[in-house]
Amino acid sequence: QDQAKKNTANKAVIEERQRMLTEWLEFRKSMREMLEEEGAEIELNNGKVIREEDGEVEEIE
Amino acid sequence: MRPILLSGHERALTQVKYNPDGDIIFSVSKDHVVCAWYSHNGERLGTYHGHQGALWTVDVDPTSTLLATGGADNTMRLWEVKSGKLLKTWDFATSIKRVEFSADGKQLLGVTEKRSGHLGMIYVYEINPDVEAQQSDEHVLRIVCEDSKPTVAGFSYLAHYIIAGHEDGSVSQFDAKNGELLYNTQVHEADALITDLQWSQDRTYFITASKDKTAKISAADSLEVLKTYVADTPLNSAAITPVKDYVILGGGQAAMDVTTTSARQGKFEARFYHKIFMEEIGRVRGHFGPLNYVAVHPQGTGYCSGGEDGYVRVHHFDKGYFDFMYEVERERAQEQANL
Repeated sequence: QDQAKKNTANKAVIEERQRMLTEWLEFRKSMREMLEEEGAEIELNNGKVIREEDGEVEEIE
Repeated sequence: MRPILLSGHERALTQVKYNPDGDIIFSVSKDHVVCAWYSHNGERLGTYHGHQGALWTVDVDPTSTLLATGGADNTMRLWEVKSGKLLKTWDFATSIKRVEFSADGKQLLGVTEKRSGHLGMIYVYEINPDVEAQQSDEHVLRIVCEDSKPTVAGFSYLAHYIIAGHEDGSVSQFDAKNGELLYNTQVHEADALITDLQWSQDRTYFITASKDKTAKISAADSLEVLKTYVADTPLNSAAITPVKDYVILGGGQAAMDVTTTSARQGKFEARFYHKIFMEEIGRVRGHFGPLNYVAVHPQGTGYCSGGEDGYVRVHHFDKGYFDFMYEVERERAQEQANL
């Protein structure tokens, strides 16, 4: 019986974590979409300013 | 890995900051001196002299060209990082408690202290990123906080909002264009001073630390409290780690506030919590006094803390730090990989 109780408790903890993880990932997704709509380049680049020279890729044959 | 101890300051550290590349750490202290250090080996790279009082705050612009500082000499100053040259001094009626650049580095804010006859205010200046340019004397915005003095403030994503934490434990959201107060909410316990406010990398959410022994994550647009981290000591600082979903909290009770001065009693440890699950997962000991500030390497490879004991401790994360995952995270990652 104790084991059964413990399993129920563990299940509740895991379900709660799954809920928190899902909720967080949804929040992050909505924020990323909002930043994309707003054209927030620096924010979408993890806060790093995009410099001219970073964008130029030299191709070597 | 053994932490690197940066000893060079003669008094308590007040703020520490990594530059955007994470190779340099800037530190300010009550000893009036700004220091720059190489983060990988702790070698001192230089000092910035000029302030005439305790320093409270430092920030570096996103290109690592300009450094802003503020302190008890009632000035906010702008320096060239590379040469240590003082580029600009703005004078105020009271001390500067916090400075912060916007994400694009084109704006700089300063939070002034409240003192008899002067309310706490937030000043915003436009910054010319050219070190040869003349910086403006005039602020473009001034926010007067009549209800409760601001202690910390910063710019949200796209500098849409200025978010401020207050002495009374509340958080305000201002329109960063015209300074209008959009919203104020009691995030922390009433009259529990907010000691720190740090951003996520995309500035859509932020963490506040408070004397009420908690840190909280709130959304920048809704100001909704998303996460709460409960500690057992008053907090001075809280940081959000990139790469891994953790937060780092620092605090501790000053010696004069506790009956014994043992490190354990004072709880002078950096505490790691899982950002999403809000559970404590580890502590790092080392300081002999309260942690006044914690800062995370922008690439998430380490962190540093500035203590009341006058030291900066730099830590590089080891493999265990990166490998640690909750089972539900592991499962989710596996599901993603199988898609």
